[in-house]
Amino acid sequence: MSKLARSEQHSNSVLARGLKEFLLFTLAGEPYAVELGRVREIVSPPLLTRVPRAASEVMGVCSVRGLLVTVIDLRRKIRVQQSAATRSSRILLTRTAEDEVVGLFVDEVRHVVRLEGSEIESAPVVLGGDVPDHVLGIGRTGDEVIVVLNLEGMVG
Amino acid sequence: MAEGTDKAREEFLSEAQELIEGLSRSLLGLDELQNSGAEDPSLINEAFRYVHTLKGLSGIFSAKAIGTLAHRVEDALDALRLGRLPLSAEFIDVLLRTVELFWQLLSHEKDGDEPPDLQPILARIRRLTSETSSQQSREEFEFEPALLAVLTEYEEHRLRTCVERGLDLFKVRVRFGLATLDKELDEVKLRLAPLGEVITYLPTGEAASLDAIELDLLLASGSDNNAITQAIGGTNVTVEQVPRRAVGPASSPLSKPQSLEPLTSNRTAMPTQHPDSEIAQAAAIRSVSQTVRVDIRKLDVLMNSVGELAILRGALARMTERLRTDGQRQLASELHRIYRSFDRRLSELQGGILEVRMVPLSQVFDRLTRVVRQISRDVDKSVRLVVTGSDTEIDKLIVEELSDPLMHIVRNAIDHGIEPRERRLEIGKPEIGIVALNAFQKGNHVVLEVEDDGGGIDEKFLIERAVASGHVAASEASVLSRDEIMNLIFLPGVTTRQEVSDYSGRGVGMDVVKTNIAKLGGVIDLHSERNIGTKITVTLPITLAIVSALLVRCAGNTFALPLNSVSEAFSLDPGRIKWIDSREVYTLRGASLPLCRLDQLLELTPLPASNRKRRFVVVAGLGSRRLGLVTDELLGQEDIVIKSLGKSLKQVRGFAGATELGDQRVALVLDVAAIIEEVLRGSEGRELVGSLHE
Repeated sequence: MSKLARSEQHSNSVLARGLKEFLLFTLAGEPYAVELGRVREIVSPPLLTRVPRAASEVMGVCSVRGLLVTVIDLRRKIRVQQSAATRSSRILLTRTAEDEVVGLFVDEVRHVVRLEGSEIESAPVVLGGDVPDHVLGIGRTGDEVIVVLNLEGMVG
Repeated sequence: MAEGTDKAREEFLSEAQELIEGLSRSLLGLDELQNSGAEDPSLINEAFRYVHTLKGLSGIFSAKAIGTLAHRVEDALDALRLGRLPLSAEFIDVLLRTVELFWQLLSHEKDGDEPPDLQPILARIRRLTSETSSQQSREEFEFEPALLAVLTEYEEHRLRTCVERGLDLFKVRVRFGLATLDKELDEVKLRLAPLGEVITYLPTGEAASLDAIELDLLLASGSDNNAITQAIGGTNVTVEQVPRRAVGPASSPLSKPQSLEPLTSNRTAMPTQHPDSEIAQAAAIRSVSQTVRVDIRKLDVLMNSVGELAILRGALARMTERLRTDGQRQLASELHRIYRSFDRRLSELQGGILEVRMVPLSQVFDRLTRVVRQISRDVDKSVRLVVTGSDTEIDKLIVEELSDPLMHIVRNAIDHGIEPRERRLEIGKPEIGIVALNAFQKGNHVVLEVEDDGGGIDEKFLIERAVASGHVAASEASVLSRDEIMNLIFLPGVTTRQEVSDYSGRGVGMDVVKTNIAKLGGVIDLHSERNIGTKITVTLPITLAIVSALLVRCAGNTFALPLNSVSEAFSLDPGRIKWIDSREVYTLRGASLPLCRLDQLLELTPLPASNRKRRFVVVAGLGSRRLGLVTDELLGQEDIVIKSLGKSLKQVRGFAGATELGDQRVALVLDVAAIIEEVLRGSEGRELVGSLHE
């Protein structure tokens, strides 16, 4: 299990400059990001138990130090190709609006990026009118184009 | 700061709840005694103390309405214990009604529910207390005025009562050491208690030495001098019978009031003349502080930790086994010893926590007793409630959830079950109907029975209702078995009464009751005989926290089945399967058992036939609704802690939660009640109304 260490002070100074931190990860080889503050913990996938008759994006349930967590396959949710779990697969733990901790399965966690609010283009501007709930916007670092996901639209 | 206040408030609410429960208990005790014509002043005093403390408490937390009501009830009880008012059935009714109001006021404080209107009850109390306030005067009694002058009003009342009961009066003179007075006096009172009632005690004023004091105890008793002397023992005692009609001779030390004042008010253990005295307060505080109030959620946390320890225990056992098979016998047996002692301690810990969670069912039963009084009065039927087994203990959480369903059942029993008085006399039944409430433990379950000796359930009417509400097709009604008919009462919208009363008859009762009981993992059964009565049996697990479970494997998945919902398991003999109406039915000991293939139900990919050797049937369900679950493998029994699935999975049917097994794997716990419902409801629907039902 790996954990990203973040210090309170650090994020404060970042916020002061109007920057927001995002966690960059890949799904089917493409870069995606979520707001770092929403991620409680990053863990290697524990043994998953499938839940019969659950929605298709539910991969199963697992125990993270005694806490029962439902794991959702982000790839299925945003309809990209799914490959078998590898050594770099991770689960991001996040707390939903309904105060439940759920896990989001991703192929690989890359690093943290800082984006100015103005650097994130709103999705409709780029993609046209019909944007799924889970896309918050499009960000850029260097040449890379990142889809910033909206966790509220993702779970629950 | 705000948190501290919240906590204090929570304390207040739970203490107030205990006080109201105490008040209710004392009043019910009084009611029982009243019915049998006896009396016990200690019960009135007890009730008085509870309501007095409640008054003080609500003052601190500015719960004004509770304070007002407590104040009036306190006054009424005070008048009662001083004998200014006679104890009547109506009086007890009014007092019990105030208990209901206290509950409502408390829930108003807690959840902001609509507060009840206190004016009617306050008016009733006023009327009752004013009616008879000057009923008896001191002058009617022949005691010496000098004696009466030193007795408190309460003592005087007790004296009068004892004399009226024909008891003799004794003056018991005892010498006490000044330093040990309190202790010795308590001791003497304790010894005299079986013989009679100590009405008062006064110093003689003739103290023999500086470090001793002589007291005269005024004792009302049916015994004689010798018995009393013997009971007290010791040499510093003289007992003298006070002649009748000449109580308290003029020369008696009783007539020296100047030395009395400090003793009567300070040495009295029970708050008599001054209920507000510090002693009364201190006693109340002491009695409260012996118990620790704990939020049930904290116990849940502890229980979870114990559950995790149980998982470690399992890992330890597996480790021992591995060492043994690896040939490390020495290490294995050492580890096994550690395992054994760990196992023992853990069981103790588990038992201890479970015990703390347990509360006697009397918490619910007391409330029901009040309900019975109220309803039987309102529907004008004479009903006697006979309660047995109220000391049976069950998990606190279950008790909380139990009170509504039981209330419904008892209401039904009185309103629908028990016949009107004239009808009962007409068919030769005793005029007073009986509702019996029995509780007892049976293995890991608590069984609750509510039985009435009323008219039973009218099958024909029940069928009519079920047909009218569309649950049963008219053509099928004639082929229903008796059990099937009785089970119709649990369908939504079915009632056994034509007219809707205040209490029941809307047909929203029994299906809700059934759902609530099922939520607690319980089963409800109904048995009814025309003109003999109806008996409803509720079977509940003792606790919800840790359960023994049977682990099974099906299509590569491990599932846990709570053992309290499993009656047996056996290996499947394919020859005994019959297809009836596109459904598999197994013949077990000459009876039919509907089968459900777990892999099909849960839409799992079945194991290829070549991989299957034998398969197994687990018989799930209690009572008359049973289902055989077909599975691939039985793994054995294990104690598990059930954790609920997250909200994101709440729409998934068939699982009660999940549990962590020793190898860090999570296994889903099957919700047996829900599965039975899902499978059997489908088939019952077919049998009864084709496809109308779901």
